[in-house]
Amino acid sequence: MRSTTTRAFIALVVGGVLTLAAFLGAFFWAGVPDFGFVRTAERADSVRYQGPFEQAIDETRYLTNFIGYDVEVVSGGETFRGDLLEADEVHVTLQTAEGEVRVSAAEFESGLVRGSSYGRPDWGQKIFYFHVPVAEISFIVFGFAAFYSLRFIMTRKREYDTKARISMEVTLLFVLLTMATGILWTKAAWGVWWDWEPRLTTYFIMTLLVVAYFVLRNAVEDEERRALYAAAFSILGFIDAPISFFITRLIPSNHPVIERGGLEPPMLISFIIAQVGMIAFGYAIYQLRMGEVLLKDRIEHAKTLLER
Amino acid sequence: MASTSMRQFRAMLRKDIVMELRTKEMLMSMGLYSLLTMVVYFVALSQAGSSFDPRDIAAGLLWLAFIFTSMLGLNRSLVHEKDQGCLEALLLSPVDRPVIFFAKFIGNLIFLLIVEALTIPVFAFLFLQGNALDSGALALIPLVLVAGSVGIAGVGTLLATMSVNTTGKDFVLAMLFIPLMYPLLLGAVTATSAAIIGGPEGVAAFWTGMAWVVGYDVIMILASYGLYEFIVGA
Repeated sequence: MRSTTTRAFIALVVGGVLTLAAFLGAFFWAGVPDFGFVRTAERADSVRYQGPFEQAIDETRYLTNFIGYDVEVVSGGETFRGDLLEADEVHVTLQTAEGEVRVSAAEFESGLVRGSSYGRPDWGQKIFYFHVPVAEISFIVFGFAAFYSLRFIMTRKREYDTKARISMEVTLLFVLLTMATGILWTKAAWGVWWDWEPRLTTYFIMTLLVVAYFVLRNAVEDEERRALYAAAFSILGFIDAPISFFITRLIPSNHPVIERGGLEPPMLISFIIAQVGMIAFGYAIYQLRMGEVLLKDRIEHAKTLLER
Repeated sequence: MASTSMRQFRAMLRKDIVMELRTKEMLMSMGLYSLLTMVVYFVALSQAGSSFDPRDIAAGLLWLAFIFTSMLGLNRSLVHEKDQGCLEALLLSPVDRPVIFFAKFIGNLIFLLIVEALTIPVFAFLFLQGNALDSGALALIPLVLVAGSVGIAGVGTLLATMSVNTTGKDFVLAMLFIPLMYPLLLGAVTATSAAIIGGPEGVAAFWTGMAWVVGYDVIMILASYGLYEFIVGA
């Protein structure tokens, strides 16, 4: 009894310290990644003219903070707007928030003109140090729930049912946190709150499965039966977790994937600290709930003794 | 031993079919339900305009009808067993639990396939008239129909056995069934849609969808088969 509370407390302190450290590391040590060197040409709305910079415009059409642009063609001493193919010289007039900027096509293309290129800091990436560890823990704890469910079916010991149920509660918490942080990031990075994209869809299904687990538990009255049904369902439901985890590597998906060696040391270390901290948090919540359940059991036991 | 199981399996399957032939309850309710779904589809699509091609979403609509109809049927098939005490009698008799699973599974599969075979012509008659379907690889559709129904009936039999003992049977079945069915539905709709559209790319997409469905069938039916023993006895 005492040991669950002590363990929970230690895990809570460890988790708190490490998460704070990861937070500091993420914001003050790890660099802010860019979207890269974004050329103004890449911010244009659409391809309206044939020309050498058509490709650059077309490739990154979605970075649109840009108001508009106009192309002026100088050909044979005459100036007109329109076809670039016969041009001797091309001028581009950029309409930006700071006013109009007139540059030559070569300058426009190279992005070296003042005001026409910039590095764009990706602050939204900082949620990576929270969102990814939370999502990983949700998969891991779901795995534990399925494991305890299997143990329950094999042994029929009540403690495994309790463990599976509490693991599932922790899964629900982490799944909801993942969804919340994910939705915020999606809005920041993709400009939409939700996208029916493979990873998001399978993870949404996983959320529904975890919710369904509790719906099932609440709908069965007999205790033995409830435990068995819930155990069977969590094993069936867990089959979705690996699908959701690996799907970004199987089918083309917009969801980012960490590649081997893709993180610089400050980012990697902060990320690892965040992961360990989140594991400690998950463990702390698990042990706290465990302590509560054990306490309730003791009260029930004492009640039955008193009634005798 | 194997022959005993086989005999028991056949006896249970025959019991389900004979009961269905006498009451016609499951086929009637499932068939009428899928007909009603068509009415709802008509209302849903009534504002779509003349440029809308129903073939684009025909596969999705069909599988939507199948999934809801199958939930109705699965619930029915197990409610019967429970209300009339048949399941208890089966559990008391010296029958292996997996045999019960396979008998219920095959029974549900047969009824589901009959209803699907009746629904598709009705759907084509009501929604696809005037749209020549000769472009598609329609001969492939029965394949995905059978593969998808195997998954629905297999997992559904296990889940219905659970949900029949809960309060709020229908809702619990839907809550458990639809999320678990998601991979199968996605594969089945992809494959069916590809078969309707046809062409070499369509056939390639069809086999990708089929791979999903068959993979799902294998994994989930093995899992359901393994778990049924514990569920039905609880």
